[in-house]
Amino acid sequence: MKPGRVIGTVTLSHAAPQFRGARWLVVSPMGPAELTGKNPGLSQQSTPVVYDKMGAGTGEAILYVEGAEATQPFDHPMPIDAISVAIMDQHYYAPPEAGA
Amino acid sequence: MLLARIDGFATATLAHPSLRGQKIVLCTPVDEHGRDAGSPIAAVDPMGAGRHAKVFITTDGSWTQGTVHDDTSPIRNQVIGIIDSL
Repeated sequence: MKPGRVIGTVTLSHAAPQFRGARWLVVSPMGPAELTGKNPGLSQQSTPVVYDKMGAGTGEAILYVEGAEATQPFDHPMPIDAISVAIMDQHYYAPPEAGA
Repeated sequence: MLLARIDGFATATLAHPSLRGQKIVLCTPVDEHGRDAGSPIAAVDPMGAGRHAKVFITTDGSWTQGTVHDDTSPIRNQVIGIIDSL
């Protein structure tokens, strides 16, 4: 799982039939500066598109999973490799100070 | 398998059912010298590792599906050991 901030959504006009009803989130992965709140904006990391069935909204912090495990919740083949798994209510992140 | 340091936690009400009752930690991957080695990741932590503890994390989803007793769980990362010395 990786933490990320939802920064938008994607809609498709033509898509594979498995994607009927799917929601897609554009996610900015959260690094140390974003998790500690030092950078309230976007991270420098590239932005994955993540399948979502929880209804996460723009601006919310989520946890998402990348890799083959992303298809595990489905009982039919699904051509995705990233899925949202949690909407974070609260998070706390405090790495040790340098030299500590 | 990853070495990581526990740097925080997250709570989530809306989550995949397999995360219910699981402690979710935010940790920073580290190298063999304890230096940061990558972007923070989240993991389920059945061990109860403390703040800034060095831990051992598996990224094997099928193992984690077994420990959360849910074959449909997409969760991969799980703390499977707390490191004494390295």
